[in-house]
Amino acid sequence: MDSPTQNTSLQRLQNVEKRIIRVLELAGGVMDELANPTGPRKEFINNHCREFMKMIKDIQVTLRDEIKSACEYRPFEKCDYSSRISNEICCKKLEYVLSQLDAMKQTIDEYQATI
Amino acid sequence: MAFYYRTSLRGHIYQSINPEILRAKWTFPFYISEFRNAETGLLFLGLNSKFFLQIFRENKNMDGNLEISLDKLPIKRLDSIEENGVERYPSDSSYDEKRVSLIRRIDFAWAVEDDEERERKKRQKKSSKDASATWQWQSMVENLQLAHQELSVIIDLINTVEANDAVTVAGMTRPKPLPNEVLSDLAVSAATKLQCYRQLGKYFKQSAKALEEQIAREARFYGALIRLQQNWKVKRQRLAAAASSSEGFIIDLFDNSLYDSAAMCRPSSLSTIRVDHDSAGMLAINLPPNSCRSLHFGFLGVHSADIPKELGKIRTRGSVEQHTREHEKESMSDDEYIKETHTLLREVHQSIFDDQVFEMLNREAFNQSIGVNVTGIRENYLQLSIGQGNTLFISLVPSSKGDDQDAANTQDSESAIVPLDSFDNVKFEEGKHGTPKRKWGFPNRTSCEIYLQQIVHEHAFVKAKDKPNLSGTRVSGQSGKDGPGLLGHFCLSLAHRIFSNRVLVELENVVCRVPYLHLMTHPTWHSQASSWTIFLKVPQSILHAESQSLKSDFQNMKDAVKSQFRTKVVVNDDRINVEGEGAPNVVSLFKRSSENISSVNKYECDLADLPVIILLQAASQVICWLHEEALMVGIKTNRDFLCLTFELEQGDTVSLVAHVNPEDIKGGIAWWLVMEDGSTDDWKLQMDMYDGASEYRKFLGHLTLDVLYSTLMDLVSLCGGGRNH
Repeated sequence: MDSPTQNTSLQRLQNVEKRIIRVLELAGGVMDELANPTGPRKEFINNHCREFMKMIKDIQVTLRDEIKSACEYRPFEKCDYSSRISNEICCKKLEYVLSQLDAMKQTIDEYQATI
Repeated sequence: MAFYYRTSLRGHIYQSINPEILRAKWTFPFYISEFRNAETGLLFLGLNSKFFLQIFRENKNMDGNLEISLDKLPIKRLDSIEENGVERYPSDSSYDEKRVSLIRRIDFAWAVEDDEERERKKRQKKSSKDASATWQWQSMVENLQLAHQELSVIIDLINTVEANDAVTVAGMTRPKPLPNEVLSDLAVSAATKLQCYRQLGKYFKQSAKALEEQIAREARFYGALIRLQQNWKVKRQRLAAAASSSEGFIIDLFDNSLYDSAAMCRPSSLSTIRVDHDSAGMLAINLPPNSCRSLHFGFLGVHSADIPKELGKIRTRGSVEQHTREHEKESMSDDEYIKETHTLLREVHQSIFDDQVFEMLNREAFNQSIGVNVTGIRENYLQLSIGQGNTLFISLVPSSKGDDQDAANTQDSESAIVPLDSFDNVKFEEGKHGTPKRKWGFPNRTSCEIYLQQIVHEHAFVKAKDKPNLSGTRVSGQSGKDGPGLLGHFCLSLAHRIFSNRVLVELENVVCRVPYLHLMTHPTWHSQASSWTIFLKVPQSILHAESQSLKSDFQNMKDAVKSQFRTKVVVNDDRINVEGEGAPNVVSLFKRSSENISSVNKYECDLADLPVIILLQAASQVICWLHEEALMVGIKTNRDFLCLTFELEQGDTVSLVAHVNPEDIKGGIAWWLVMEDGSTDDWKLQMDMYDGASEYRKFLGHLTLDVLYSTLMDLVSLCGGGRNH
């Protein structure tokens, strides 16, 4: 069920969450760099800020897509509980038949052993 | 009143003395304000009264003389008088001004001079002492001390000013910053900003980490919830979410797509299950132990030794989970945990269904339908009688751990309420039949349970168009006057099954003793009808011999003797119908033709008479076959029901007589050879065993068909040879 590809919207939303974490980490990194007593390195800050903005854009795009494509909530149109019960009953029948077959096999084995 | 005062000149701290103490000491009943120089011990006492302002000076170092100086009274003195006589007074100074003027008038000149003298002395001393070994931080320490003193004075003054609203600070001017102060302020603010940045950075990183953890936890929870949602209905209650700490998810196990909604509309308390979080934030479902119940079926007086494996497997899982979940959580992966949760939900779902089944059965039981006879009832226990002394019970037992507990429940419920008549019948049954028959009599209780669940499910839950099209098992759900309801149908089916088992036992007993009879069971696909066929087969060896002698003439194939005789036994509910071929047909007796008109007898019988009937039927079929064989070889024989008669010369007759005895262990059909002389024609001689004068009997025993055939051929040859030989 858990497909490694990013096709399911659940996977995409999880990626959005990961991006948000990454964005926070970048912000923290930028702040730390600014607090550098020898002064911030420009390239470092530029890279981080660029990545930050890119991630924000990605997040925004993904969320917009997901919100647009989210379908209406249809509650439980087809409930399969009764067929589930049928299946349970069939499982029980199967187990019973298996036990009967096992008993038959045992009888055959005993009979052949006594021959 | 006590306050500190700092002169702008020097910075000495003047400490005040509590006027009460002084008052007590000096017993001056006036308002006193005083100052004391902490260093020199000078006491300045101001008496604000109508008397003079007296200043006492107390000097420890001096020779103890008290010097007093006086000042004039602060009374209103005339300022000026104008020409018209109006007196001008100086304007009243406010209280503040008075205080300030008082403060100003304190003359510290002498103290200042003294201090200057003393300092000069000290410096001389110090410089004379150690000019070289001055501590490099001394000046800084002194400056800090001075600054500290000044600051504390200011703070105290401000506090006093604040506390005492009669004196307010008019304004303060910011001191002009020194040049290095500007830079140091800048440095301080820059450092503060950097500090803030650092804190902000740390805050961001911390929140990133916390968010990551929370996302991981929630991903686990919601991942599990989504997987559960594929199979179960997950709903959310927002109000409950606001109240409790969890998000308010519930799993709804109630099936609202019922066929007959009027029948069962009460959702049980189990049907909504709350989804909780466990300690690690993962999904957890907490059920009270023994909350799941399952349907249990049994026959009274029959202890089923075979407790199926499923009982141990499934029933223990629900409650075992509660205990081992905490221990095994770490070792179980999420997949396994979700599978176990699925299993738990399955159990609960089944339990709800079993509850509904039981409720429906109860309702049916009290609708007085056909075939239902309630003989006992308890909580979660229903006992029915299904005729012929058999009693069954249906109960709801909690899915508990261990089978011994289950057996205890069963025994408890069985022994508790047993109506007297059925119990006697059960005992009577035990006495009548042996133990093997006892086990055979009753169908397996598991299969009955399954059957019960299935018919209830099909009736109540499956819509009419989805029902499987089995003609035999169509059950009319309505317990009307004309047809039995579900429970009635079930009871009737079970009664039939028990009865047909007994029939089968009897048939098998008969068939296994006679070697040329074969029993075949036919499935009828109807729960209240059973059918068997007993074949009497002529062995192939005889047939081959015949076909060889007849040179496989196709013309004669039609005239071939029947090699198989059938007897059909059909049981409907508890009525037995026997149909058999091969009985003597009056018409064919008169025809010498080889048409095989075999009539079929149909009659009903009881269980007790069944073996005899079968054996009689078989025996007559053998006679019929022998008759046909004899006709094939051209000998005229007379056939009676159980007797085949050959005519010899001189009117003597030789008969093969069949004797049927179902109690005979060696075989059911015994043969006698009876020879009579022609004088008697009395059939009643067959009954008379000891009339040796006119007949001779020989007991042949239990013969196979081969032997019978050869016996027949011998008799044929005895009769003077066949025409075809």
